[in-house]
Amino acid sequence: MKTHLWLLFLKMTLKILLGELMKTIKKDKIAKLLDFLADKYELFAPTSKDGLVVSFERIEEGKQAKLRFYNSNEAPKKLFFPQSETLFSYSKGERETVPEPKTEQQRIIFGLKPCDTKSLSLLDKVFDTTDFKDPYYTQKRVNTIIFTLACNRPQSSCFCTALGLGPFLKEGADVFVVDLDDKYLFEPITQKGEDLLKEIPGLEEAAEKDISYSKELADGTEAKITTKIQLDRLKEKLDEIFDESVWDEIHQKCLGCGVCTYLCPTCHCFDIVDEQVNDKGKRIRIWDSCMYPAFTLEASGHNPKPTGKERMRQRIMHKFNYFVETYDEIACVGCGRCLRNCPACMDITKVIEQINNLK
Amino acid sequence: MMDLQTKLREEAKRLLEEKKVDVIIGYEDGSMALRTTPCFVKDPRDVERLVWNALCENNLAKYLIGRTDKAAVIAKGCDVRSIVVLINEKQLEKENIIIIGMPCAGIIDRKKIYAYLGGADVKQANIENGIINVKGDGFEEKLNVHDFLHDSCLACRYRNPVFCDILVGEEIPEVEPKDEYGKIDQLEEKSSKERWQYFNKELSKCVRCYACRQACPLCYCKTCFVDQSFPTWFGKSTDISDTFSFHLVRALHMTGRCVDCGACVRACPNNIDLRMLTKKIEKDIKELFDSEAGLSIGENTPLASFSEDDPQDFIG
Amino acid sequence: MDKKAENWEPKILAFLCSWCSYAGADLAGVSRLQYPTNIRIIKVPCSGRINPVFIVKALQAGWDGVLVSGCHPGDCHYLSGNYYARRRFAILKRLLEYAGIEQGRVHFAWISAGEGKKFAKTVGEVTEVIEKLGPATRLVKAELGNGKKK
Repeated sequence: MKTHLWLLFLKMTLKILLGELMKTIKKDKIAKLLDFLADKYELFAPTSKDGLVVSFERIEEGKQAKLRFYNSNEAPKKLFFPQSETLFSYSKGERETVPEPKTEQQRIIFGLKPCDTKSLSLLDKVFDTTDFKDPYYTQKRVNTIIFTLACNRPQSSCFCTALGLGPFLKEGADVFVVDLDDKYLFEPITQKGEDLLKEIPGLEEAAEKDISYSKELADGTEAKITTKIQLDRLKEKLDEIFDESVWDEIHQKCLGCGVCTYLCPTCHCFDIVDEQVNDKGKRIRIWDSCMYPAFTLEASGHNPKPTGKERMRQRIMHKFNYFVETYDEIACVGCGRCLRNCPACMDITKVIEQINNLK
Repeated sequence: MMDLQTKLREEAKRLLEEKKVDVIIGYEDGSMALRTTPCFVKDPRDVERLVWNALCENNLAKYLIGRTDKAAVIAKGCDVRSIVVLINEKQLEKENIIIIGMPCAGIIDRKKIYAYLGGADVKQANIENGIINVKGDGFEEKLNVHDFLHDSCLACRYRNPVFCDILVGEEIPEVEPKDEYGKIDQLEEKSSKERWQYFNKELSKCVRCYACRQACPLCYCKTCFVDQSFPTWFGKSTDISDTFSFHLVRALHMTGRCVDCGACVRACPNNIDLRMLTKKIEKDIKELFDSEAGLSIGENTPLASFSEDDPQDFIG
Repeated sequence: MDKKAENWEPKILAFLCSWCSYAGADLAGVSRLQYPTNIRIIKVPCSGRINPVFIVKALQAGWDGVLVSGCHPGDCHYLSGNYYARRRFAILKRLLEYAGIEQGRVHFAWISAGEGKKFAKTVGEVTEVIEKLGPATRLVKAELGNGKKK
């Protein structure tokens, strides 16, 4: 089995290296391409009602997509891990069974940025493990094809490169799309992506200059992101300073509003509530946030994270220490949503800098 | 004529050197363009961090609650009024606070600037003499600060602190608000069904993050009604009925206490215009009870008082 | 439920203060006064006990209308409960109507212990208004209360 996969991988890499699989389409034809996809799949793309705030929504027509954008306001994690999701319903008197989650339709998400695509790989580590597969999440994941759109317009608040990622990162994509000014370049990354590209009509073979221009754009864009974070020994440093007084300062201006966790593409804490009236009820999974006072409030009244200090520490530790400990990766993709939207202008890059500068 | 920022730093330095307070709660430059951020200065040598300009938007009164030390807080007209309400509701001990009052002609709403620039990424910004200079990749513009103020600033009647220990600078003339209840009046003209549709649409954007509640200095309940489980008043999912109810009840809890500082609207990640509810109640209490929040120490909020002649034409 | 459903009857929740309005309702009963049976009563010690949340929740649960009644101002058993209530209700009524809840869903009254006739008359009027408005649909939570679906 493994050999078979390796051979497949080699074959694809070779093909890609030879530029055989890469396709292009002129920009004025992209709406039609999206129409084609919307016909056969549930198509999600970046849209905007007011031309400013972008959000990934289901579209019926290609022209509804806004493909030149900084990034969506809300993280696309909501397409796999919605804010409110009914897990099952129950009725008193009937034998209670947990119904299988309904089979999700085949979906395509077009235009996901590399940072958000990477965030899905990080969420997979939590929701799709060898021991446990969250059926609600995995059903959606398995039925979704991702067209990652390379980011050639990072914002001043972006810092994906500081985390070893990048605006042209292909990890997690099924098809990697690059905006080459007058056309789009499509590169299949997975077999799923390659098979889908074969279905799409009107694609042209990528020319050598298309591929080299794409590389040029990649280098140029990476250079635009200037924020740096020192990641060397960060995890170990965090282990050492758990009880230090620096946390008293760090959390001071935080309002505990939770916006950072809600907009963060990798944050995944949730609460489960039962809503019942008389003899009918349902169990709903909703987002929770480590920034809320009631997050770790126990039935006895004891709260192991009683103040903003413990909760802010929890957030930083989870992203840069606990997640690294458990999954060997930092739970942050540098999308900058927390920076842009924090009402108190908390800057996680500055917090890390402050921690790194200790002692 | 020293500028306000310099005067402010001087006062702060003096307070810290004379050990009148343990900390100055103020604003410093944020790590991104068009932002300032709350800062906590304990050392008199650090007062140079403090800034005062039209980007100083946060309501710092929030940081006074639960403090055990002595703090001086920089407060604009609206912030001062929220501190007055907190004192009146016995949430703050006056002797532990020094209010550094700042007359304020309005704070910039950066979202309005982004909208004007078509969503451009502003990389640099600085303000001088009422003009804000914004720069980014391929653009540079000079904008008039007064064209980009927060909606709550356009409705402001109390630009000068109604109460403070130290006033920095001179009082500025109070002006008739540019737009006090315009949007409310417009909505009231519409039919019941249209109003219902408006609020449904607006509140369907809500993801129940409670940032509005956390940013508001007057939301200080140890357990918010929405977090109660015995009994559970409203569900916590994004069901529109629950969400609508949450916002209605939160606005009701703000009756006579909300000073329209705008912190809730600024905190909302989805730009919900929460003021459409709170401002309506503010309009009603003025009309019904001749009451405005936070104008004087010792005053009771309108729902904690009554008059024998209160209007009752709506009662059968 | 559809208004067109022949057998739709409004369901109206009433909060009555025990000293005045509830006693007034009792008087209507012993006097054999006829009034619509669409009303369900919750007795509270004083109109001042009523948290506006109760009314919002009632609307959410699918009640077609809410009636709140207390002692006349000046006659409150607890002296000033109804004065506070009056202010609260003024704000609540205006906010609900502004937010799009139909005018006429929520009613307030002062009914004393001796006003059995007024009680019957008020219930009749309120029921008529709500019958005209039809079943409550706004703010009703889907799959909650009264078996109604959105």
